[in-house]
Amino acid sequence: MYDFTGMIQGINNWLHSVMPDMAATVVGWVLIGAIYLAIFAVLGLVLVLAERKIAAFFQLRLGPNRIGPWGIFQTVADAIKLLLKEPVGTKRADSFLYNLAPYFVIIGALMSISVLPFAKGLQAFDIDIGLFFMLAMSSIGVMGILLGGWASNNKYALLGAMRSGAQMISYELSVGLSLLTVILMAGSLQMSEIVEAQRDYWFIFKGHIPAVIAFMIFTIAGTAETNRTPFDLTEAESELGAGFHTEYSGLKFAFFFLSEFVNMFIISAIAATVFLGGWMPLHFGGLEGFNHVMDYIPPVIWFLGKVAFMIFLLMWFRWTFPRLRIDQLMKLEWKYLLPLNLMNILLMAFVVLMGWYLGS
Amino acid sequence: MREKATTLYLGPQHPGITGNMMVRLKVEGDTIVKATTEVGYLHRAFEKLAEKRNWLQTFTLMCRFCVPEPDPMEESYSRAVEAIEGRIVPERAKYIRVMMLELARIGSLLLWHAGQAGSTGLYTVGQWTVGDRNYILDLFEELTGARIYHMYIWPGGVRRDFPEGFADKVLKTMDYLEGRLKDYDNLMFENSIFQKRTQGVGYVSPKQIIERGVVGPVLRGAGIRSDIRIDDPYEVYDKLDFKIPTETSSDIWGRALVRREELRQSIRIIRQVIEKMPEGAIYNKVPNPQKWTIPPGDALARTESSRGEIGFYVVSDGSNKPRRVHLRGAAYVHAMTLLEDVLVGQNISDVSTIMNSLGTCAPEIER
Repeated sequence: MYDFTGMIQGINNWLHSVMPDMAATVVGWVLIGAIYLAIFAVLGLVLVLAERKIAAFFQLRLGPNRIGPWGIFQTVADAIKLLLKEPVGTKRADSFLYNLAPYFVIIGALMSISVLPFAKGLQAFDIDIGLFFMLAMSSIGVMGILLGGWASNNKYALLGAMRSGAQMISYELSVGLSLLTVILMAGSLQMSEIVEAQRDYWFIFKGHIPAVIAFMIFTIAGTAETNRTPFDLTEAESELGAGFHTEYSGLKFAFFFLSEFVNMFIISAIAATVFLGGWMPLHFGGLEGFNHVMDYIPPVIWFLGKVAFMIFLLMWFRWTFPRLRIDQLMKLEWKYLLPLNLMNILLMAFVVLMGWYLGS
Repeated sequence: MREKATTLYLGPQHPGITGNMMVRLKVEGDTIVKATTEVGYLHRAFEKLAEKRNWLQTFTLMCRFCVPEPDPMEESYSRAVEAIEGRIVPERAKYIRVMMLELARIGSLLLWHAGQAGSTGLYTVGQWTVGDRNYILDLFEELTGARIYHMYIWPGGVRRDFPEGFADKVLKTMDYLEGRLKDYDNLMFENSIFQKRTQGVGYVSPKQIIERGVVGPVLRGAGIRSDIRIDDPYEVYDKLDFKIPTETSSDIWGRALVRREELRQSIRIIRQVIEKMPEGAIYNKVPNPQKWTIPPGDALARTESSRGEIGFYVVSDGSNKPRRVHLRGAAYVHAMTLLEDVLVGQNISDVSTIMNSLGTCAPEIER
């Protein structure tokens, strides 16, 4: 199995050997930050293109096909356009909060990406509350949406923001509880240990029935967390125009837009890490030969493949489901998902207590 | 705690509103307590303009009353003019007219699919149906030379006969469309979220139906079998075999099912028309348009469009221009007065779905 710990350690040691400790640490941080920013930008561009292509595929269209082969530079052109666009805002907006809001959203997304294990050793922070940190950071985003909607001084934006607040805070519960179900098996919140615990079986196989239920709940609640159809009430086009970002344009709109896609990546990455084994190849305890063959595929590919699968699932939802109404949305969470989730945790606790899961 | 009411202006430029009109909503939280429709953004004075043009020139105005379905307007106006003048329409032209009307109905219903699904956020159905409507427009283009505004149905007949092999093309398109209906069902009508969004929403009470003079799919969705094609058959509808679907729920879902079935019935009608169509002349020659005068008199012609009954009242004073032309359309009743009643007590999210379901057509309201 590929292990990046040595490589990262090597770079670190080399930095420390050519400059004083203090400077080496700072340079290390800046390097990591730059890499993550690059990942962030590339993710946004790739995912927007993927969304448009997949939407076109579902809708029997061609999708972007003018700029570059297969339209692959379309999103680059869009990004350049957004960068060069004159920022148009409203006069009566609360300008401090109005300008601050997009950064909340984007910082939340960036911070939560930092604890993701892309492969063994390829992780910026491996803190022992990794998963908790990730959830906490990704819910900072709702602050930005609320601020933006409030500060825009626009009724549609305010409606969108309020809906978003109600929705994201409600569904946060389901996201947290469904992850907690699986944490019972892992016994740790540290991302690297969660992945390591899935060496023999991915948690979705290891925990069989309760894990599958938790996975389904997580997928539903995760879709709601990212404000995508069928839960895109925040920016429901036929009701609110553009929802909370009605009054944003240019780069600030781009921040909102980009962070939506990065949030989708984050939710998919959490699902991949916690339920589908993260970078861990498909292993079945006891099948040594099979496991060995699977090890030949690099862990980064495994991780990105699983994330891509989850992202495709979310896009599939988006283009084949209508939107729920706000009261139906709340009913779904508080009357169905939450009680089911609580019972599921009990079931999982029982399974773990009795040792009825696969593997050891 | 009593919530404070605020005013929300939905339109005239809003992605959820069908056409350029505005609905001014008074909302408490998400619930609508009062709705006022405001129109006037699309007024083109067609009825007045028609009084300044000679008889043939008015046809370019009539088809523009409602953008998605111009043919029922042409048909209705033509029949009113024919009734005053006593002009006879050849048998073949009658069949061709019915085929045009049903093709227009299919095109309009496909657009309705797009609007109804799109208003609930299901844009994929919209892309599919608008794409499939293109095949209908291709047929129109081949037959009439125009895709949207055909000016094809004239007093005394239709403008052109079928091009070679056209009947087969129509049948082939119908076969294709029939195959596609299954896909629409899968994605739209059998989707439980779509059902949840539409069932019990936008209820039209019997009292409102009587007070407002509701017509078309909204009336049939409330369980009343009323259709001009059956009640007062025009052209050759009495020689054709088709059903008038009804539902009893009187909500968006009931109306959606009515329209879903109407699409199937239209395909049936077109097949029968192609089969039964006789050979022969397609029009009685119209005199030189500049000198074409119509004897004094008035007539009302009613036609069933995809949104309900439309009636043209035409008065002639014996000159080469109409004295008065008046359209009584379905959208005017549905989207101006009925909408205000239906919206009260509903959620903001449902405004767009209800408007689509009532068959709002802003150009027809304002003319």
